[in-house]
Amino acid sequence: MEVVIEKQNEVVTVFLKGRLDTLASQEVSQQLEGLSENASGTIIMDCTEMSYISSSGLRIFLTLRKAASEKGGKVIVRGISNDIRSVFMMTGFLNLFEIQELK
Amino acid sequence: MNETTFDPHVQELLTQYHQLLPVYEQMGDLVPGMLRNFFAEAGIIVASVEHRIKTEKSLTGKLQLKGQKYHHINDVTDIVGIRVITFYNDDVGKVTSVLERLFVVDWENSIDKRKALEIDSFGYLSLHYICSIPTETYTDPKYPEMNEIRFEVQMRTVLQHAWANMNHDTGYKSGVEIPRVYKRNLSRLAGMLELVDDEFSRIRHELADYRRQVQKLVASGNLSEIPLDGDAFKSYLEIGPFDGLMRRIASINQAEIQPVNLSPFLNLFLAMGFKTLGDIDALIKNYYDAAYQIACYQIGLTDIDILSSSVAPQNLCTAYILKKGGGRVGLKWMFDTLNGPSEANEILADMLEEQTKDLAFMNQ
Repeated sequence: MEVVIEKQNEVVTVFLKGRLDTLASQEVSQQLEGLSENASGTIIMDCTEMSYISSSGLRIFLTLRKAASEKGGKVIVRGISNDIRSVFMMTGFLNLFEIQELK
Repeated sequence: MNETTFDPHVQELLTQYHQLLPVYEQMGDLVPGMLRNFFAEAGIIVASVEHRIKTEKSLTGKLQLKGQKYHHINDVTDIVGIRVITFYNDDVGKVTSVLERLFVVDWENSIDKRKALEIDSFGYLSLHYICSIPTETYTDPKYPEMNEIRFEVQMRTVLQHAWANMNHDTGYKSGVEIPRVYKRNLSRLAGMLELVDDEFSRIRHELADYRRQVQKLVASGNLSEIPLDGDAFKSYLEIGPFDGLMRRIASINQAEIQPVNLSPFLNLFLAMGFKTLGDIDALIKNYYDAAYQIACYQIGLTDIDILSSSVAPQNLCTAYILKKGGGRVGLKWMFDTLNGPSEANEILADMLEEQTKDLAFMNQ
């Protein structure tokens, strides 16, 4: 799984590429630790090239959301595929995040 | 440079003022902080807590007028001034209780005009407490004078504050006597604001009564008597009406339940035509199995082990809409209502309709 973090002003965009399975989640979680500590702005999780998400991956999204809401920030999920959208819907995560569609 | 010559006594008081200025500044930071903390702990919501230190210019003016009244600068009780502005007039009483608890109140010099106002006069119902910090509340070896110096706390509502500012701008201290008609208009306004303040408090009391009534009805189970609104739904959620179904759904994969705010479902229930909490209760009873069947189909063959607590109401609404013949249009409408309109909700509606079409509840 490849993770690219870009920061522009108060907006941090995290590009997730590949499968966010249990194994990858451990590494991604460590990579995003700093982001949770400074989650006062907007965090965009760009999932355009993410092909799979496991429960561990969902927990990463949840941790970020919690950190952001405690610090006055927000998490936007961008460009999810229909398969991942379905996972978000079945788990009730769809109601938790602002979902941004690709134009 | 011109130097103004003051009476030696006034000069002496001003020298004392300058020596104590760091203590005043320290108090100006400390006292509002203590009050804010206490208000937060006691759940008292105030509009603001402000402070100011009397300027040398203002103090000089006061001392030139009545300097002989003061033997020491500590006899001037309003050099450190705190102002607490509340939203409701009955919160002013709570603020006074906090002051009485935290500080020593100099009753002789405190003013409560709320009781003394003439029956035919209206104006700012001034309430000023003169206080000092007792050593058992706070001491600082660097500033031992802090426990000796008295400070003034003004308490007023937002509306009284607005009136006092307008009155100050248009009349008091302007140096020009304003015509009687304007004075009278200001007085009329004060009377009206006093009524508005009382009305706000009355409405707050009525709302609190209504909430208590709703809570009682929810607890007694008379749900069909309770109209569906924000307060009723909030009280209803407190008894965890979806918890049983949610636990059953989570047991499919021994999933962890992530509790989330379910209040966004209120709009959906209202849009579905539900009128009372009894309608939601009936939804849970009548569609419990259907909601469970949807969850079994969706997550039973996956390794998903985390679910938001919104799955239970979401699946109940899904089953209800489908059984009522809403189809994919109804499902898209549900997602639009819950998550905001989006074309992507059509995809979800298609998926959901496809997933559920062969489930037992759809064919019973």
